[in-house]
Amino acid sequence: MKNTWLRLLAALFSLALVASACGSDSPVDDAVEAVDEAADEVVEEVTGDDDEEAMEEEAMEEEEAPEEEAMEEEDKPVVTVTGPERDESEAGAIQEVLGAFGEANGIEVTYTGDADWEANINVQVEGNNPPNLSIFPQPGKLADFARAGNVVPLADNVVDGMAWSEAWTVFGNVDGTQYGAPVKADLKSLVWYKPAAFEANGYEVPTTFDDFVALTGTMIADGNTPLCVGIESGQATGWTYTDWVEDMVLRQHGADVYDQWVAHDIPFNDPQIVESMQTVLDLWATDGMVFSSGGSIAATAFQDNGQPLVDGDCMMHRQASFYSAFIPEGTAFADGSEDAVDVFYFPDLNGDAPVLGAGTLVAAFDDNEATMMVAEYMAGAEYAEARQKAQTALKGGGLSGFLSAAEGQDPSVYAPLEQSFLQILQSAAIVRFDASDLMPADVGAGTFWSEGTSAVNGDQDAAEAAEKIEASWPS
Amino acid sequence: MTAISNKGGGGVGKAIYRVLGSIPTGVLWFLVIVWSIPTFGLAVNSFRGRDAQRNAGWWNVFSDEGGPTLNNYEEVLTSSSTNSILESLANSFAIAIPATIIPIAIAAFAAYAFAWIDFKGREWLFIATVSLLAVPLQVALIPLLQLYSGGAHLTLPWIDKTLTLIPDFGLAGSSAAIWLTHTGFGLPFAIFLLHNYITSLPKDVFESARLDGADHFTIFWRIVLPLSVPVLAAFAIFQFLWTWNDFLIANTMAGSNPEARPTTIAIANLAGDYGRNEHLLGAGAFVQAFFPLVVFFSLQRYFVRGLLAGSVKG
Repeated sequence: MKNTWLRLLAALFSLALVASACGSDSPVDDAVEAVDEAADEVVEEVTGDDDEEAMEEEAMEEEEAPEEEAMEEEDKPVVTVTGPERDESEAGAIQEVLGAFGEANGIEVTYTGDADWEANINVQVEGNNPPNLSIFPQPGKLADFARAGNVVPLADNVVDGMAWSEAWTVFGNVDGTQYGAPVKADLKSLVWYKPAAFEANGYEVPTTFDDFVALTGTMIADGNTPLCVGIESGQATGWTYTDWVEDMVLRQHGADVYDQWVAHDIPFNDPQIVESMQTVLDLWATDGMVFSSGGSIAATAFQDNGQPLVDGDCMMHRQASFYSAFIPEGTAFADGSEDAVDVFYFPDLNGDAPVLGAGTLVAAFDDNEATMMVAEYMAGAEYAEARQKAQTALKGGGLSGFLSAAEGQDPSVYAPLEQSFLQILQSAAIVRFDASDLMPADVGAGTFWSEGTSAVNGDQDAAEAAEKIEASWPS
Repeated sequence: MTAISNKGGGGVGKAIYRVLGSIPTGVLWFLVIVWSIPTFGLAVNSFRGRDAQRNAGWWNVFSDEGGPTLNNYEEVLTSSSTNSILESLANSFAIAIPATIIPIAIAAFAAYAFAWIDFKGREWLFIATVSLLAVPLQVALIPLLQLYSGGAHLTLPWIDKTLTLIPDFGLAGSSAAIWLTHTGFGLPFAIFLLHNYITSLPKDVFESARLDGADHFTIFWRIVLPLSVPVLAAFAIFQFLWTWNDFLIANTMAGSNPEARPTTIAIANLAGDYGRNEHLLGAGAFVQAFFPLVVFFSLQRYFVRGLLAGSVKG
């Protein structure tokens, strides 16, 4: 008797296995279907009210849903957009701007910001449930998706509509095809300082890297601490150091070496790279150079350098444009007042003014007309302006934290400090994307951070760290 | 002599016993305090502003400029529509309540059948069900999502025909997908727990009910359910807390649809890029934790009783 049951169970099991194996034999069709379904789903969710009981009932009685209403809504194409930007002002601004665009063009656009974007986009693609558009913070990830055939090339209208210079659009170009269009820029080659403190001590903003080093020497001689440095950032501890190194590689060895370094055409422990790593270490190790509120560089959170800068514990802090979010509340930015904080361009060595940047790119998972229309809009200057306005309003004035290098924006929508960011961005001939975002994750989000941190702690020198990082490069 | 020394020994022994007896209590209190400190710190921090949190630990709360503030809570509760925590609270209820009731309803019927209905293959089926406890839910996430977003299809190679085993219900991105997943992974434990309790009910009750002409449904409805309230409540607490606090399943099944997001996801999004709004997390966590606390304290008297259910079978 028991054997009969066993046999039946075995039969059921094998049937289930076969079914699950066959379930996904045509991923492309499934993906297309899934997009349509995801779209229908959103329509249904939108038509229902938020009352939980209503939602419950609606899901239960899906078949009995009022058909007319559903039909009406279904005529309107739906475009879902996901991305890593999720806090209130950012996600709110994107939704507001895209929603308004959609309304004017008869498209239902929904933006979803996602704290776990990197993992989720993989899951959604694997699960045949991708959004229509997604905003990629890493060109490397976009390239992986493009080569795997998960994202589709941008339609001609999107490519033609990109208002960004070649220096930026190249990040969305994979093997000669444009898969991504830039939608946001971050500027990393910046030094934050207090103009009033500089004036009181008679310091001048340095225009070459040698001036910068000389200035730090003067500051130490005067009894001031030149730099605030802290590289602690939880699991990502060390990324601030990698940004410094990247800026130094660009300055000391130029964009070509930088590109070879990123592409692994030269090994990570190439003498030129080691030199740049060591330059940063030596600079930080100079007596009296660094103020770290947490005791040591590696124990100080990168977010905790705003207060000491404002308090005058240090004179300068090299950090990206988004750092305005960590300057204590109530501090004025670049308005000439006594306590105001301003930035200057992290000076270069030989006048070629390279800029280390980062940013996001929008890429499409299908080539529906509505999807491409939204992508085209996002790649243009109009979107950047509208988002800047919306985000400033949501922040309640001051700095929005948003920056775009799209050409043709009206600079007056930006605050004065952000206008200076814009100027640096738009005048830069050499823009390079954050190398650690371009390298394989094992290195760029792994050993480069961890070995770098241990070098900053003085446990090893740059050559040893570089050698270990090179050994970890996936072959 | 012996009597006296015995007496004295008894006194000392009692004293020693009392001292020794208080050690476990002391250790427990110590653990309770150590265990609670981080939560307490989080609670204190939720009333401090961003710069105060950045510059000094929570124990400096009394030396903060401007003192404690409700700004974090205000900011969390009035956030914009895309990340509104109030909307996500409604979603959390829409997920947690059905995801608690559905498995209980199914498990109660199943447990009764496993315990008191004699059918062929009962033991094997029960063993199969309980052994599903060992299946980690993570391995099933992506296949399940594929099932929800595309159904299951079987292609018969020799006649080249595709059979649709499970049609495509378009559940991806909806709360229903989350209920189904929670139900599936909650059922083995629910059936196991309820079964052990229901088998321990006295047999006489069932026999006399039978004699009075009650059928299975009447026995289940009139006798078993009322007697099982403690274990049902205990499981309800478990399941409610687990589904309310769940991030992984909700994020996988409904992560792409902001209309269906529960609070766990909304809070994860609060921090923002580079953790620039990390100061809001404490306040968000306490808003989220408020409802489970209500559920727990209103049902806690069932908790211990229910957990012991079936463990001491007469």
